[in-house]
Amino acid sequence: MEPHRRTANNGSAPNLNLAGVADSVSHLNGHRPAAMDSGPFHAAAQRILTTVNTVIDGKSDAAKLALTVLLAQGHLLVEDVPGVGKTLLAKTLARTIDCTVNRIQFTPDLLPSDVTGVSIYNQASRLFEFRPGAVFANIVIGDEINRASAKTQSALLECMEEHQVTVDGTSYKLDEPFMVVATQNPIEMEGTYPLPEAQRDRFMARISMGYPDKESEIEMLETHQAVSPLANVSPVVTASEVAAMTTTVQQVYVSQSVKEYTVSVGRATRESALLRLGASPRSMLQLLRAAKATAALDGRDFVLPDDVGDLAEAVLAHRIILDRKAVGAGETPNSVLRGILSRLPVPQAPPGQPSRAAAATGSRNR
Amino acid sequence: MAPVRRTGEGHEAARPEKPAGRAGAGAYPWAMAAAITVAVCGAALSLNGVLRGWNWYWPAMTTVLVVGFTLAALRSVRAQPLLVTAGGFVALVGVLTLTFFRSSSVLWVVPTGATLPDLDRLVRRASETVLAETAPVAPNAGIVMVVCAVLGLAVILVDALAVPLAMPAPSGTGLLALLMVPAMIKPQSAGVWSFVVTVAGYLLILACSQWFAPDGRLQGGTARSPGMVRRAALTGAVALVATLVLPLAIPGFDHGTFPQGSRLNPWSASTGLNPMITLGNSLRTPDGSGRITYATNSAAPLYLRSVTVDNFDGDSWGPDDRTGSRVPLDGRIDPGYPVLADEQVRLVTAIDAGSFTSPYLPVPYAPETIRGLGGQWTWDPATLSIKGTETTTRRQEYLVTSAVPKLSAALLAQSSGPVRGIPDVFARIPGNVPDIVKTTAQTVAGAAGTPYLKAMAIQKYLRSSEFTYSLQSPVQGGYDGNGLSVLADFLEKKSGYCIHYASAMAVMARLEGIPSRIAVGYAPGRLTGATVTVAGQGALPEYEADARDAHAWPELYFQGLGWVPFEPTPSRGVVPDYAAESAAPSVTDSLGNNDGLIPDSAPVPAPSPGATAPAVPGADSNSSGNGVQLMPWLLGTAGVVGLALLAATPHLVRAGTRSRRLRPKRPDQAVPLAWSEIRDLGTDYGVPAEDSETPRAYAARFRTSLLGEPGGMDQDAHEAVAFLTSAFERHRYGRPGGKGSPGIGLTHDTSSHGTGGQDNGGQGIAAGVAAVEMALRSNATLSRRWTAAWLPPSVTRRLGQVLRTPLSAAGRAIGKTARASAGEVQPAAGGRSSSGAADGAHTPGGG
Repeated sequence: MEPHRRTANNGSAPNLNLAGVADSVSHLNGHRPAAMDSGPFHAAAQRILTTVNTVIDGKSDAAKLALTVLLAQGHLLVEDVPGVGKTLLAKTLARTIDCTVNRIQFTPDLLPSDVTGVSIYNQASRLFEFRPGAVFANIVIGDEINRASAKTQSALLECMEEHQVTVDGTSYKLDEPFMVVATQNPIEMEGTYPLPEAQRDRFMARISMGYPDKESEIEMLETHQAVSPLANVSPVVTASEVAAMTTTVQQVYVSQSVKEYTVSVGRATRESALLRLGASPRSMLQLLRAAKATAALDGRDFVLPDDVGDLAEAVLAHRIILDRKAVGAGETPNSVLRGILSRLPVPQAPPGQPSRAAAATGSRNR
Repeated sequence: MAPVRRTGEGHEAARPEKPAGRAGAGAYPWAMAAAITVAVCGAALSLNGVLRGWNWYWPAMTTVLVVGFTLAALRSVRAQPLLVTAGGFVALVGVLTLTFFRSSSVLWVVPTGATLPDLDRLVRRASETVLAETAPVAPNAGIVMVVCAVLGLAVILVDALAVPLAMPAPSGTGLLALLMVPAMIKPQSAGVWSFVVTVAGYLLILACSQWFAPDGRLQGGTARSPGMVRRAALTGAVALVATLVLPLAIPGFDHGTFPQGSRLNPWSASTGLNPMITLGNSLRTPDGSGRITYATNSAAPLYLRSVTVDNFDGDSWGPDDRTGSRVPLDGRIDPGYPVLADEQVRLVTAIDAGSFTSPYLPVPYAPETIRGLGGQWTWDPATLSIKGTETTTRRQEYLVTSAVPKLSAALLAQSSGPVRGIPDVFARIPGNVPDIVKTTAQTVAGAAGTPYLKAMAIQKYLRSSEFTYSLQSPVQGGYDGNGLSVLADFLEKKSGYCIHYASAMAVMARLEGIPSRIAVGYAPGRLTGATVTVAGQGALPEYEADARDAHAWPELYFQGLGWVPFEPTPSRGVVPDYAAESAAPSVTDSLGNNDGLIPDSAPVPAPSPGATAPAVPGADSNSSGNGVQLMPWLLGTAGVVGLALLAATPHLVRAGTRSRRLRPKRPDQAVPLAWSEIRDLGTDYGVPAEDSETPRAYAARFRTSLLGEPGGMDQDAHEAVAFLTSAFERHRYGRPGGKGSPGIGLTHDTSSHGTGGQDNGGQGIAAGVAAVEMALRSNATLSRRWTAAWLPPSVTRRLGQVLRTPLSAAGRAIGKTARASAGEVQPAAGGRSSSGAADGAHTPGGG
């Protein structure tokens, strides 16, 4: 077995980790790294965002959302037309962290074993030896994920949900942090395999880059003239720092009424007449996790209903399916979600009545 | 994850009647029409007593049925709502034509041009009836036509409110309007049965609206909630208790503190075709309406007589007009019987009838000539009553000369000869005179020798202390009015008013063989202090009499002397010299008070003042003196203070709430209470918080729409709002215990602590709220500031919610009952329900 190896160089060469063998410091069920304090947390987050923003002009919201997903231990789906910087965002985020990065260009002939890895017979040791696939990295960039065949796509499924790879009956743990950033082009759908619902559901959030505004575009032309700004990016946080940040995020407090609010958002999508498919319970979990990350990035140790509401579009829009008639009426998933949120009552303690009881239950449940 | 769509419950609550509505589409119009018909027919029941008898009820019911079921038929063929209502009007016109204008119509139901004069005639007849007659009126064609039309319109109104406008609850106002009329006119109000039937019909209307609501429009607030039944029961109990207790506390509107309420009843003031019936109502009027003034040269108190009642048969006595034998009034009026008295007293009286409206002319007895009258008048030779033809006494001024023999007890005592020369009708003993009347007459007057002694015996008996003058006890005892059975009740209960005394004396006199009749008119009244100059007489003192002086007294016939009035009613009128027990001179110089007119020296014991005083409102207020004069001032002041308090209530409530919030009992409550105060401030100044707004979003909206630019004059307010928002967020959504766990310590506060941090506690918060309010006030318009101070929406809105709760709870209770009874229909269609609703659910939410 190859020893556990952490590489700092990223991208071109397949840098493979045998996380399944090594007792990784940060896999899910192990002990957590110590939580990071407010000051260092804020500083680290600020460093990451600043760096990303130097590369991608005028997309601070997308950058912040990407960081949110990273800290919430989710996966990100970037969907937009070609040439707006989807891949650049993913690569920049990966570069700012001192960790392993793999990029997989999805094509129709890509095989599942290319993603997960394959067991090869070693002539010298006369044993089968596991050659890890491209998924063995802290950050995996899946470019044009909808171009791969369904079975290759689904090879990613287990990796994304379980943070582990199973080949020939043997499971191999993946490193922490582990994040898949997939890009997808919604325009050229010919000859593609659109992601099935089940797989879309595994992405914590979907963002659309959108076109930059005028100033940003001019600036982009200026700065990107000679060299790729990516070249100047050097890591600003280590992987262990990121792990500590995720622990901090996990410890953000969620009050009972925020939980109720989150659940009522989900129920409202399921009861909405405009939707054929509402949000799943898993998506509620992910929504709350993302909300915790936002709260932490905002410098709070508790989640507000605002956090949940702000993230609802990014987290839920790609999971819900509009009803036929709603599509005909010109609705989009985002507009439906906005409508639901604008009607949903926010739980607030009635005046004069303390929220002690609810809060006490909330802390007990945690 | 399989999509769980439309979890049955919420959907059921949202539109539960869908399948039932479809299944019952055919029955709905008919059920509703039946309900409306029952309600309106029930309300019409109460008109019995306003209209006499029941003959009018059948045309009325026909009208209601025809209109109601025309509406139902049109609706069942799914006509346009406007068309349905128009059809109702057409049906109403048709059925009225069929009933009342058949002769001038085509095919009995289509009115023609010739119908209009007929209609005009009937409407005029009805308006005459309303103006001149008193309840119960005889059901003539005019009034019945109007009643039918009104009932038909009521059906259309109730239907329009309940069905196309989908407001079944307000449809009750139509029914209430019908019930109001008898409630005001009839002394016994609308009546239990009519009320019960009307209410049952109204409940049926409500129930039909719930059971068959066509598209769930009415199901808004019918979601089940726990404790609903309890709330409904509580609401009902409170309403019931209020209904029972309030009338005890409120004195009512016809007597007591606010007698002005009786002006609402215009019928009691008019004196109608049957003054006998009006008389009780007139006497009970607390204010003097129907005021008559007269000036006379008579030294004795003057009775003004309108009409006489001489036929004592039947349930209800009334004047007999003797239309056939009436004589036009153009010359001298001849009494028609010989008067043998030596000395005749001639009187000249100038009368101004004022607002008194009656076809009968009030004149002193016995009139000889009348001058100055407008319109045509006739007189009855038998009774000398003067009646207008197509004219009334309203605004008439006339001069009457009258002549009475100068009577004395001796003269009357001599008159014992057999009666001749007058119609038999005055002496006829009515059939079925109750035994008590016969025995009383026998006991009281049987032993007396002459007619005069008999009459005096009867008068003495009636004026004795056994009898009490009371306007109220006949009403409560149920024998108000006149008639032989009423008379029997009066003799038994020994309490009543002039009608009873007069009819008792008249009937008993006939039993004893003395011809008698009852004169109806006015007792002498009071001096006004003014004088009226009458040609040839000089200045005469003016008297006034109004409804409170309405009176009835018996006239007995003595051969050779003519009709002689007596006064059996204690405390009313004046006992004439000849009828007084002794020959003591009567006191006639103190006409200011009726009580004073009774001769003190009369051996007849007067009723105790305590019993009679409350019955005579005029006397009551006079005797109480200055103590009573203070009352209006006290009441007025109390009223003004009460009104001011009432007007200031929202302000006071708001101020109380604020001071309570800014001085919390527990320090950890300071922040949420201050936040509530900020929300209420926002509500007061026009930016209420919405349910779907988070504290942060509301604070942002608050700051942008109510405060000026940050950094400007409102900087303090901005800081206070920001601080309160984050503090409230931490309190509401943060870790219990406040300060955040030490391990994480993400206590990075986004707000700047401008107005004092949490350390300052309540002080800083109060100062912050004050700063916010000052900023709001300086930014708001004048009207907004005024509203926020005196009618703060945060208070009025809450009040509205409180007031709405019982109503919506009642609505939900009705809905629940309806659903329970419609339960059999539901399961059958239940399978369809979810898919059908999923289809239907997309339609409304498009935007």
